[in-house]
Amino acid sequence: MIRVQTEDVDIGGLIAAAKDPGTGAVVVFDGVVRDDGITEMELEAYQDVAVAEMEKIARSATEQFRLRHVDIIHRIGRLSVGESILVIVVSAGHRPEAYAGSRYIIEEIKKSVPIWKKELTKDSGRWVPGEHGHGKGKQP
Amino acid sequence: MTVKVRFFARFRELLGTDILTEPEKEESLLSLVRDIARKNKEGYDAIFDEHGTFREFVIVMRNGKRVEHDDATAIRVADGDEIAIFPPVAGG
Repeated sequence: MIRVQTEDVDIGGLIAAAKDPGTGAVVVFDGVVRDDGITEMELEAYQDVAVAEMEKIARSATEQFRLRHVDIIHRIGRLSVGESILVIVVSAGHRPEAYAGSRYIIEEIKKSVPIWKKELTKDSGRWVPGEHGHGKGKQP
Repeated sequence: MTVKVRFFARFRELLGTDILTEPEKEESLLSLVRDIARKNKEGYDAIFDEHGTFREFVIVMRNGKRVEHDDATAIRVADGDEIAIFPPVAGG
């Protein structure tokens, strides 16, 4: 399942659905809102393109790491400290592929999926700068 | 002819989004976005440099596909196009 959604994620359900008789390992990545002195985090997506890009990443990871199952659920909207932002569940026959596939997916998401985060504080807010721009220029 | 221009994140806060516009025939992508961005100086300055070209970090898409900045003058917008302008992505 590849989705962008506001609702919370049933990680237990995803883990159960990721297993089949050939599964030897399931790796879960749960990216969480950290308390960096913020009240909430607000997330925004270019939704159609974000889903298409995550589907492309999932296909690529499946081929490269022989994954048996991939779920990527990215949340948008306002999230509180401790809530899940991004959940990636992958399964594979063996742990090296499952770990490597999970790591590949999160790093690729950070490079190319059009989603943005704003950290909200009591008085204002601040957009989290992206790590990967279009060209060489840095975001001010 | 109708073209939709979408700004995201900080650019959306400054310029709005889902802007439906009726460009001139043969209008370039660069010229169209410049015209819309001119309504807010801070928004314009966030996207364009002093020469009126896209700042290097700005990402431009046409119908979900990335557009190289150097091509933005040559590309003529067409009816039904969706142009998206946004800062570097920061998901995950």
